[in-house]
Amino acid sequence: MSTTVPLTDDYKVSYISLAEYGRNEIRLAEHEMPGLMSLRKEFGESKPLTGARITGSLHMTIQTAVLIETLVDLGADVRWASCNIFSTQDHAAAAVVVGRTGTESQPAGVPVYAWKGETLEEYWWCTEKVVCWPDGGGPNMILDDGGDATMLVHKGAEYEKAGAVPDPAGAESEEFQVFLGLLQRSSLTVSTSWLKPTTCSSLRSTSMTLSRRASSTTSTAAATRWSTASTVRLT
Amino acid sequence: MLAGKTCVVCGFGDVGKGSAESLRVQGAKVVVTEIDPICALQAAMQGYEVNTLENMIGKADVFITTTGNKDIIGADDMKRMKHQAIVGNIGHFDNEIDMAGLAAIDGIERRTIKPQVDEWVFPDGHSVIVLSEGRLLNLGNATGHPSFVMSASFTNQVMAQIELFGKNDDYERQVYVLPKHLDEKVARLHLDAVDAKLTELSSEQAAYIGVPVEGPYKPSHYRY
Repeated sequence: MSTTVPLTDDYKVSYISLAEYGRNEIRLAEHEMPGLMSLRKEFGESKPLTGARITGSLHMTIQTAVLIETLVDLGADVRWASCNIFSTQDHAAAAVVVGRTGTESQPAGVPVYAWKGETLEEYWWCTEKVVCWPDGGGPNMILDDGGDATMLVHKGAEYEKAGAVPDPAGAESEEFQVFLGLLQRSSLTVSTSWLKPTTCSSLRSTSMTLSRRASSTTSTAAATRWSTASTVRLT
Repeated sequence: MLAGKTCVVCGFGDVGKGSAESLRVQGAKVVVTEIDPICALQAAMQGYEVNTLENMIGKADVFITTTGNKDIIGADDMKRMKHQAIVGNIGHFDNEIDMAGLAAIDGIERRTIKPQVDEWVFPDGHSVIVLSEGRLLNLGNATGHPSFVMSASFTNQVMAQIELFGKNDDYERQVYVLPKHLDEKVARLHLDAVDAKLTELSSEQAAYIGVPVEGPYKPSHYRY
């Protein structure tokens, strides 16, 4: 089953018209990000990430835009959400959707689901959107800051295996209540299976921080292998 | 204005150290709270007052949590702060500050000054200002780290993605830390941009301290 959804219908940002402002700032940031730019030079031709389907859950800022476009230049298929309801820079999100060759009406970048000031419901909806590819598959890689995308995949698989999602009313916090509500709804839709091979058996993840939440996710993990890469901690 | 104000930084780990320094260089009087005697000693020896939150609660103008732990500033603490004291978190998650407890105080009123800045007015008329609802203030109220800093972090991320994707079967189901030689490569890539000239180790010097000339130069447990 292969469904192609045009990018025009596969993103949600606050104002796509902010793309030009975002592109200008991305251009300035590229000059300040020599590490990423040298990876583009080193691996831009060999494209070692060809075949990688990367779900990103990481503050959708100008700097992250340069990261995303580096992953794309290395061959990856990328979907992105922010990992915080307030951290998105709306012009960065718009520019990543439009991409380097697209226009506001014909975007040619990456599906981004992020805007500054999401509600918790919107936040988890965005996270689900970037974990589920339009062709029905999932990611084979996650780039996660805080562990939310990883938690969604693992809890989804765990509850699907168990045959039921716990009652959100019994959740320990408002956010977990929203999270369980999302999984309850997604378990009702045939298109979402958290147990699909791409979302389970070969999934790999890199993480900005080795947080308590990330560690506990790992301990209950079905089949995720982790790498942390944090010389500079993103707070 | 921060100059002259008393600012409490809860925690003196990596994040607290940076927060305390950025407040101090703006002229604030910084007081650190710590549970770890090593970090407390580090703070004291950098000239910071080390005290408890309890002792500082009615005295300080700004409270910043940086701990990565939970329940650092409670609703009762905020009730006892000075009028228009500023409360914010730059630690891990929004449970460092008890926002649910604050919202549940009988008769409290939330006035949004602008997005991500809320004044919470207690029934007696005094208030505290909470940044980004207790979520990361550096990203909610500002735009996060500078590009140059994030370049180092993100370059590691990309290299880890390449490694894990390309050598899928070489890794077990566990957590790995990126090897030090790749960290050194990332740092090396950023030296030119700040016009830094690296000194090279001679083979005699390398042998003397037992490291390869080309690195890695430190044991994995080394803290920079």
